[in-house]
Parts: sequence; structure tokens; C-alpha cells
Amino acid sequence: MRELHADIVIIGSGAGGGTVANELAPLCREGRRVLALESGPRLRDHEFTSREVEMAQRLYVDSGGFLTEDRSMTIAFGRVYGGSTVVYTGTSLTIPEATVQRWGVPGLAHDDVLRRSEKYLGENNVHLLDEGDINDNNQLFAQGCRALGYRVEQFPLNLKGCRGSGVCNLGCPHGAKMGTARVQLPEAERQGVEVVTNCHVARIEDRTVVATVKPGTVGAASAWEPGSYRIRANAIVVAGGAIGSPALLLRSPAAAGLPALGRYFTCHPALILVGQHDRPITNYIGHPKSYYCDHFAESDGFLLETCMYFPFTTAKSLTGFGEDHARMMSAMDRLQMILVLALDPPLADNRVMVGRDGEPVVRYHFNDAVRHALVSAMRASARVFFAAGAARVHAPAARQFFIEAHEADRIDDLVPFDGLTLGKTTISSAHPMGGCRMGADRATSVTDAWGQVHGVPWLFVADASLFPRCSEINPYVTVMALADRVAERVRAALPDLTRHHA
Amino acid sequence: MGVLTPTQRAFLLGIAPRFVPDAARLDASEATAFTDLIDEALAQRPITLQRQFGLLMSVMRWSPVLRYGRPLDALPPASQDAVLRWFQDAPAQKLRSGFWGLRTLILMGYYGRPAVGPVIAYLPPDNGNAILHARTPR
Repeated sequence: MRELHADIVIIGSGAGGGTVANELAPLCREGRRVLALESGPRLRDHEFTSREVEMAQRLYVDSGGFLTEDRSMTIAFGRVYGGSTVVYTGTSLTIPEATVQRWGVPGLAHDDVLRRSEKYLGENNVHLLDEGDINDNNQLFAQGCRALGYRVEQFPLNLKGCRGSGVCNLGCPHGAKMGTARVQLPEAERQGVEVVTNCHVARIEDRTVVATVKPGTVGAASAWEPGSYRIRANAIVVAGGAIGSPALLLRSPAAAGLPALGRYFTCHPALILVGQHDRPITNYIGHPKSYYCDHFAESDGFLLETCMYFPFTTAKSLTGFGEDHARMMSAMDRLQMILVLALDPPLADNRVMVGRDGEPVVRYHFNDAVRHALVSAMRASARVFFAAGAARVHAPAARQFFIEAHEADRIDDLVPFDGLTLGKTTISSAHPMGGCRMGADRATSVTDAWGQVHGVPWLFVADASLFPRCSEINPYVTVMALADRVAERVRAALPDLTRHHA
Repeated sequence: MGVLTPTQRAFLLGIAPRFVPDAARLDASEATAFTDLIDEALAQRPITLQRQFGLLMSVMRWSPVLRYGRPLDALPPASQDAVLRWFQDAPAQKLRSGFWGLRTLILMGYYGRPAVGPVIAYLPPDNGNAILHARTPR
């Protein structure tokens, strides 16, 4: 076991950890030692191969198929230098004021989150795509929504040098997504932050991180030799994501007694719907996610987004098997896709736990509101497909594999509320949130409004686990804004923490 | 490598055409690629999950003996479909989830192979924007 000392240890290098690393990097010029520990590898450019299964194994925990306890849902989150910012599509929305009000965190004001969010919109080159860069899959979605009178908006995206390879979720082969792997982490390292990859943190003891560096099978070698490490630190920032962070704190004596730890987990449970056109369309060509529809967010609790997935992901997202399934899959160039996301409520029993092996376990109950939202979203999506000219639609909860265009007036009958069957319908999530929620009351929250764990002045959280409720939008910009606040608090507290530690 | 036994590989290949009809036409090397992908995915999962999957395959293979007198992979296609549909819609969520897991792995074995792209008209270009820019404006 090697013993080390650092001023600040950051655990995680995604939207939260990468932001904190860059914001605290100037401290290195003052002689402070700042470490960022990442459990995944640092992939080299040639290792972004765009091959679906291979990249899923390299970039995601459990290849993107992390299962909830009852196996009714999979959750996708990254484990790589840059975290989930390597595998998102770069959609860069700022959180609405109404959502921050619903969060109801004393000391957290929307204008502060917005100001910090806008800083990252600039830093990450966020902009709208030109119309010429938008493919048919996206344009048809916008046309369908507009024909139905649904509000539809273009996603701002954090791209630079995008060539439209369409494989954002497999890691951009051209490095065109301006996530922390491309922007914040390289800058932090230039200033002296040490990023240690392949480094698994087992637990946090009193101002000490216990970690193991493992030899990697892909990626550049870790900055540290394989082996076990104990790292003493004046401040520790946990940014392992909404599953990793609660699980780590549950394994750690300093925070494990907080009753809300791991609870109030939300994740925007999602489904994929597919519409088939009678002609080829541009769908896997170009950026996959240009538009979203929040028309039903307030009234029915769901969002619609464009998406375009890869063959295996598409195949598993359809319900059923055999001839119809194969017929749908036989012409990928004719498929239009919509991702529906439910805005799920924070329930104390939806929680991250740790199993006997110390690994995270997510218990998630689909309440009636979420089931209702998912089915309502399927109906709305089916209407959008037909309004856009699709010949037939596959809705995962429908009574039949295909809904033909001539049946479009019977969508509500064909997609019944009891059609959503857990364990049969493929439900996935890519927005894990909560588990270390902010708040003033230690009975119902884990940290204060600045990410400091209640009662532990040297321990902070800086990722989506801070969210007291779901973000109701794609969350990464909000994660960066909150991480920016946490970094500010750590910087301010560091002199005191250093004195006390000495 | 080496989570799946030869018997399990043969079982997966035997029922794969019920999920993807074209899987019946896989040649020897394609069949190996199919089962290797599944094997590799399982190898990365916890040992308890690997064991559960092995148990599930046994249950699915042998449970039809009670009704049909033969294991699943020895049944005619229509009976295989009936058994698989029963598992898909089983009253117990654990059985449905188990079937979902098996289905997912078989679909991965087939559609996760890079070689499947041309078969299903999936040929993503390196520079998609160049193609978009060459479109005739609508």
C-alpha cells in the first residue's frame, strides 16, 4: 500500500469531476497538489473505432447495460477519461427556472445556476447546427411536431469540427464533442492537475482515499503503477456520478450514516420508438439529436427527443422477436427514431445501495405516473411519425408489432396503458440523478447547497447525484454549473481545511 | 473467454433463428463470431449473473419437455415460438426479465457483428456531413 498526500482529491472526471479539476487547477501554481482519479481508461484516438459492441465495452459501465435490481431497466453511464461527456450527444440545455424552484434548495438560485451554465456554453462552443447539417430523421421529427401543433425546439450542441459520423454515443472518432475530455481536463492537466486513470476508489476514510490502480486492457497506461494507494487529502470531492457517488459514500464511514444517502434517485426512464418509411432517409448520417419536444413536460411529464441508435441497440429496443422484428431491422436506412423520456418524481425508495460485493445496486420502482407518462409519450410519438409520413410504427407497448398508417386514428386503442410490461418492454436510462441530493435538512438531503456533505467539512459532492429532483432536461450543463459552485466552495474552504489538517 | 460451454453455444445457435430468421444462414465463422460476442459480454459480467444466465438457459431448454416431450432446441419452429412467447409474457417478472436477457444477448450476437451492416442497410460514413451538404434542398 503506497501512501501519498494531496491537497485535493477529485474522484471522477466527467461533467462534474472534470469541471472541478479545471476550476481548481490554478491552485497548482501555488504549489497545491490536485489529483483527479478516474476508474476508466484514457483512450487513444485510434481506439475510438465506432464499432458498437466494442465501444460499449470500452466506454460504459457494464457495456451500457447496467441493470436495476429487478432487471426492469438498464442504465447507461460512462467509465472513461471524461466520464459520460464522452458518450453523450452534446445536447446543451440550461435548466429552466421552474425546475430550480421545484428543487427548492435554500441557497440555490436559478440566476446563479444560469450564470454558471452560460459560462460553460461558451467554454464548450455550444451552438445550433446549420439547417444543412440536419438530417432527415431530425427534420421529419420537427415537421411532424409542427404539423400536430407540438412545440419543438432545436438542441444547442457543444460541437467543434463535427463531421456527422453519427456515432456520438460510441465516443466521437473525430474528437468533435466538447466534453471534459476535450476541454476541461486537458486544460487542468496543462496547469498541473494529475489525472490518474484506471483508478478504482474503494472507500473514503477520514480525509483519506483508499484506491487501487488496475492494469488496463485498452487505453494509455495510467499515470500511476498498478497497486494499492492511500491518499491523504485536505479536501475530497466525489464526482463519480449518480450511481457511483452514493455507492462510494455508502462504503465510506464518514457519510454512510446520513439517512437520505442513496435515496431519491431519478433517471428519466426512456423508451425508443421507431417509424418506418417507404423510402431511405438520412438517419445514421449526420448528428443524431437535433430537436426535442417539451410540449408535454408540464402537462403529462414527458419529453420527446430525436435519436438514432446502432443496430444492436435498435434491435433490443424493439419489443418481440422473429419475422416482424427482422423486417423492421432489415432496412435501417428507412427508420426514424424518437426517444421518449419520463420526468420521474423523487421517491425515497428509489435508491442506490451497495451489494455484498460493494458494487452499486439500484432499486427503482415505476410508479403509476411514470408508467402513464411513458405510454402517453408513445402515443404522442406515434402521431409524430405518421404526421411525418411514416408507413408504420413500432411502439414497445402496443398490442401489435406494427401500427400501420391506416390505423393512425386508433393509436390510443393500440397503445394501451396496460401494455407497458416490466421485464418485457425495453426501458433504459442515460440520465441518472440524485442519491446525494442537496438540501438544508440532513434527514432528507446529503449535502448543502454548495455540495458539502452535511457534518463533514472536508467532503464534497459535485455531480448529478446532487440533484434533489430530476432536471427535466438533459443534465450535463447543470452538472457543470453545480460543480463550478462546488469548486468555488472548496477553494474558499481550503485554507481552513489545510490548517485543521496540519 | 470461455463462459459458455459448447452445449450452450449450440443451444444459442439453435434457437437464434427464432429471434432473427437470417441467423439460420450464418456460416461457421459467422456462427463463431455470434457466440464469441455473447461469450465476451458474459465474461465481463459478475460471476453470479453468469451462473443465473446458465441456469436460465437450462430452464428454457428443458422446461418444454413437460409439455412437448422434447427440449426447446429439438422442437419444430412453431412450438419453439410458442414456448418463447410464453417466457416473454410470463406472469412472473423474473422469467420475463430472464427471457429479455437471453433475447438481448442473441440480438447482440447477430446485430453486434460489424459484418451485419451491409445486410441491413447500415453503412455509416466517416463524413456524414459531406453527404448531407450534397443533398438537393427540399
